[in-house]
Amino acid sequence: MLSAAIFVPVLAAVLLLVWPRLDERGARRVALLGTAVPLALMIVAWLRFDGDGGFELVESMSWIPSIGVSYRVGVDGLSLPLAAMSALLFLVAVAYPADLRGRPRQYFAAFLFLEGTSLGLFLALDLFLFYVFFDLGLVGMYFLIAVWGHGDSRRSALKFFIYTWAGSLAILLGIIGLALSADPVTFDMAELIRQQPLGADGLRAVLVFLAFGVGLAVKIPTVPFHTWLPPAHVDAPAPASAILAGVLLKMGTYGVVRIMLSMMPATFERFALPIGILAVVSIVYGALVALAQTDLKRMIAYSSINHMGYVILGVSAAAAAGAGDIDSRTLALSGATLEMVAHGLITGALFLITGSVFARGDTYEIDHFGGLASRAPLMTSAILVGSFASLGLPGLAGFVAEFQIFVGTFAVEPVLAAFGLLGIVITAAFFLRMVQRAFFGALPERWARWPDLGRSEGVGLAALLALVIVIGVAPSWVLDVIDAGTSVIVGP
Amino acid sequence: MAWIVPLVPLVGAAAVVMSRRRPHVAATVAVTAAATAAGAGWWAAATAATGTWRWGEGLRLELAVTGLAQVMVVLVPAVAVPVLAYAASAMRDDPGLVRLLALLQVFVAGMLQLVAAADLLTVLIAWEIVGACSWGLISHQWRDPTRPTAALHAFLTTRAADLGLLAAAAVALATTGSMRYDTLGELRGWPVHAVSVGILLAALAKSAQVPFSPWLFSAMAGPTSVSALLHSATMVAAGAYLLARTVPELGAAGWLPGAVVGFGLLSAVAGGLVATAQTDLKRALAASTTAQYGLMFVAVGSGSVAAAGAHLVTHAIFKSLLFLGAGIALHAAGSGYLGALRLGRALPFAAATFWVGALALAALPPLGAAWSKEEILSATVHRGAWVGAGVLLASLLSALYAGRLAVLAYGPGEPVAGERPTWPERAAVGALAATSVLLGVLWIPALGERVEALTGGDLAAGAAWELPVSLALIGAAAVAVRTLARRGHLLDLALGQRLTAFVAGWFGLSTLARVAVVDPVLALSRVLARFDDRVADAGVRAAARITEALSRSLSSWGERTFDGTVLGAARTLKAVAAGSWRFDDGPVDGFVRGTAAGTVLLASGSRRFDEGGVDGTVEGLARVTGVAGRRARQLQTGLSHHYYVIVAAGLVVAVAVIAFGR
Repeated sequence: MLSAAIFVPVLAAVLLLVWPRLDERGARRVALLGTAVPLALMIVAWLRFDGDGGFELVESMSWIPSIGVSYRVGVDGLSLPLAAMSALLFLVAVAYPADLRGRPRQYFAAFLFLEGTSLGLFLALDLFLFYVFFDLGLVGMYFLIAVWGHGDSRRSALKFFIYTWAGSLAILLGIIGLALSADPVTFDMAELIRQQPLGADGLRAVLVFLAFGVGLAVKIPTVPFHTWLPPAHVDAPAPASAILAGVLLKMGTYGVVRIMLSMMPATFERFALPIGILAVVSIVYGALVALAQTDLKRMIAYSSINHMGYVILGVSAAAAAGAGDIDSRTLALSGATLEMVAHGLITGALFLITGSVFARGDTYEIDHFGGLASRAPLMTSAILVGSFASLGLPGLAGFVAEFQIFVGTFAVEPVLAAFGLLGIVITAAFFLRMVQRAFFGALPERWARWPDLGRSEGVGLAALLALVIVIGVAPSWVLDVIDAGTSVIVGP
Repeated sequence: MAWIVPLVPLVGAAAVVMSRRRPHVAATVAVTAAATAAGAGWWAAATAATGTWRWGEGLRLELAVTGLAQVMVVLVPAVAVPVLAYAASAMRDDPGLVRLLALLQVFVAGMLQLVAAADLLTVLIAWEIVGACSWGLISHQWRDPTRPTAALHAFLTTRAADLGLLAAAAVALATTGSMRYDTLGELRGWPVHAVSVGILLAALAKSAQVPFSPWLFSAMAGPTSVSALLHSATMVAAGAYLLARTVPELGAAGWLPGAVVGFGLLSAVAGGLVATAQTDLKRALAASTTAQYGLMFVAVGSGSVAAAGAHLVTHAIFKSLLFLGAGIALHAAGSGYLGALRLGRALPFAAATFWVGALALAALPPLGAAWSKEEILSATVHRGAWVGAGVLLASLLSALYAGRLAVLAYGPGEPVAGERPTWPERAAVGALAATSVLLGVLWIPALGERVEALTGGDLAAGAAWELPVSLALIGAAAVAVRTLARRGHLLDLALGQRLTAFVAGWFGLSTLARVAVVDPVLALSRVLARFDDRVADAGVRAAARITEALSRSLSSWGERTFDGTVLGAARTLKAVAAGSWRFDDGPVDGFVRGTAAGTVLLASGSRRFDEGGVDGTVEGLARVTGVAGRRARQLQTGLSHHYYVIVAAGLVVAVAVIAFGR
């Protein structure tokens, strides 16, 4: 069933490419079907998920037995929410209106291919498979930015591609180093988690850890490896931005938890403090730089760096030993995982809204707008909910995650946590200032005919934001699934 | 079941939105919902209702209507009833009326959760929701760009300090495994101080105490009805209320009561001075709010939750009354400038009710507000002479500014032809004035025990001299107001223009906050943004240039060595594959088919493998790739082949390492 979630979109992508007579409507239908199936499958997987620890719904097949590589997919409490969120975000992004540049089949094919690889990455239980999906995802995103982007999109796409691909080489080295340390050589994640082949010390453990650390830090991205992110976001088409922020960035943080924390906890413990410091730097730096932005999309891009900082802060708190007991470490890791899901929904929605803004105004400059609330109450409501969610207002999903992260961090490193709190105020400042400048005040004459959200925009955003509210008010149904995974990772 | 209490106004908000096509129906719905919420609150208080909502593993939100919460769950919606009625009438021509009424309901719902909360997480959630609602309410007239800016000032000030509460909740949970009020006593060591600082910080900002007070002036950008609710039972009350609930539990932080008294006293006196010097009616009332909550802080810090709770109630009634009266005055005169009002003859009924509120503010017996203020005085004199003296000074000031405001706003003057209050507006102020008078029953000594039971605190025994001294101070204030009025200096106080302006503007606190906090942060953010554009990326670009140089020299070497063997094979395969490229119209097609024709790509790309440099640094490679890409265009556009080659090469390396590494 999980394999179907991976390969149905890929097959749909192939279908789109080999069916040259398909018009735009037909292509859109195929794409919607191709993204709806994985979402339905993820919902079924959610319902069938027991949450008794360990991987469930496993499907495996021998692939390259001589070096211990196999095709193996499954879910636990960490991957299931991420995969389900991705499936939803892909459906909404595909349905969202975009400038197709006369190549609808290729556009949707790239999205579907990207969905297959993204779901594959979250569901993979084999490091080799993980790496393959990790790299294939870059290709899909490269084309989405380069071909359907705007501005200097080819250059941004190339920068994104080569930077993150260089990071992925570091990950490849790490994977090889880790797999070779196992006895016998294996790429099986469950086996590597059980064996924990590298101890805390030793040059090899540190080198492998650093290789993963650098490679994933580029992907997440954390300061100072983040400079590919703003241009990629600004020049990408909005649905691709939503996927880039909502799904692709999570691959980095997912890798940190799945590989670095689960397979090398002893090494992670040694480095927990410096990683926590790096996370706080990302939080504060990302927020401060976002505060200075005049470009709507760049601002949201930097806010992503800030939010990924919270995720890493939570993971580092979960990894740190000492003062924190198991409970607060589980809280921190569950918070970090929920933050990945929440950020995907929230920032996905915000980026989609920027697409609607750009489609109507042909610019992202905040100060070129004003008073849009009088023309577009729905759009204003959507961006208000998204902004308040992003700045961590209680009752919305981001708060639940950030609160848990801070509980865990206060248990281990209160000083780091206190500095991390600063980011929350700054986030509130730039989001609300943006809303006020672009949506409040007097309406400039040239926007007098500004249309409100259309149906396909409204339905998608409503789905994402409704989920943000539901998780914010009643998070237990998600947290219970996540806890099933994180308590195993943190536990003895 | 206690969740019903905040749910009622929330449902009310939904009902208001649903009846948005007919504003007068929406108004009736809003008032009814608030009245129903008051009834639900009464029921919850009578049954000591509790409620639990599971959040996640080890986290639950808890409500318990005990202690001071019993009074607050009734008070909050009860004050909302006249305020909503007034808002619906005063803003009947406002196209945003429905939004205002709905948001006010959410505001009340948040406050109800806040007062019924039994743990720090529940209170934090409500605390932030109330803050966000205040942002929306203050920016109600969003077409005027100054109002959202004022709202942002108010929101950011309170939100920054709210993080103290977030930290307090997180520290409490992280160290004791519980966030309940009644387990705060288990805290020891640094956590108890951290939790105390956090709670104090959040409470100071929310109750607009020094040094956070100026945000209340920004909050004046909202409609008057919003001020009437925000200053009385909702939002501003939250700080004093939270301290009343938590300070008694935080005994391990020995410095906390003293700090609460200190900040409270400072705010009471400073707020009194600001209110006395102000020339704007609403702003003078706002400063008096700071001063009155300062008195409640003093009471909480002195150990008398009962006195603080009683004053919270009496203040809520008379302050909402005064703000509604101010709104009527604004409507009639068109501005809140105190030099141009004197509406006593023009609006006699509104004037009478306003005077009741002003006398309550001046703490004139037998009004209930005078009793609660006397109880605060009784509670504080035990703490030391200077505290008692400070409270007396604050009392003198409050009598002074109350009298000044009453005379300047609703004193006898020329009738003006302004807008008269409608019947719902008159009913609203009438009901609040009547309640203010009825609260005089608090003077009946036998009710003292009832007050103690309802507030969950103790009343202190007063000394015999207190009441006469208080009365003498009120008399002195009355004489002062009368003298100043005779000489025509009631507005400017016969002090220098610059001095009164400095005092009236919160002693430059706003400027200080801007110069010391806001401007540096904005400057830092701009510097970092420039740094991010120029420096953070520079390493990447430098590496790219080095790579470019390296790849040029490598490529000449590579052409000589690899090409001979590779290109031969490539040309053959290319001819085979040529047919499939004909309808290659785009890069997407290209990369998908590229998978199929991997061999071709391997062959032709291996030349560019070394050309591009084995490392993947960014922009030099980009330029080189451009050159290489042009050469490769007869095969296809895009980068995928290139990419696959490198992946394949990586695999070769991997296999080699595996093969030889064992």
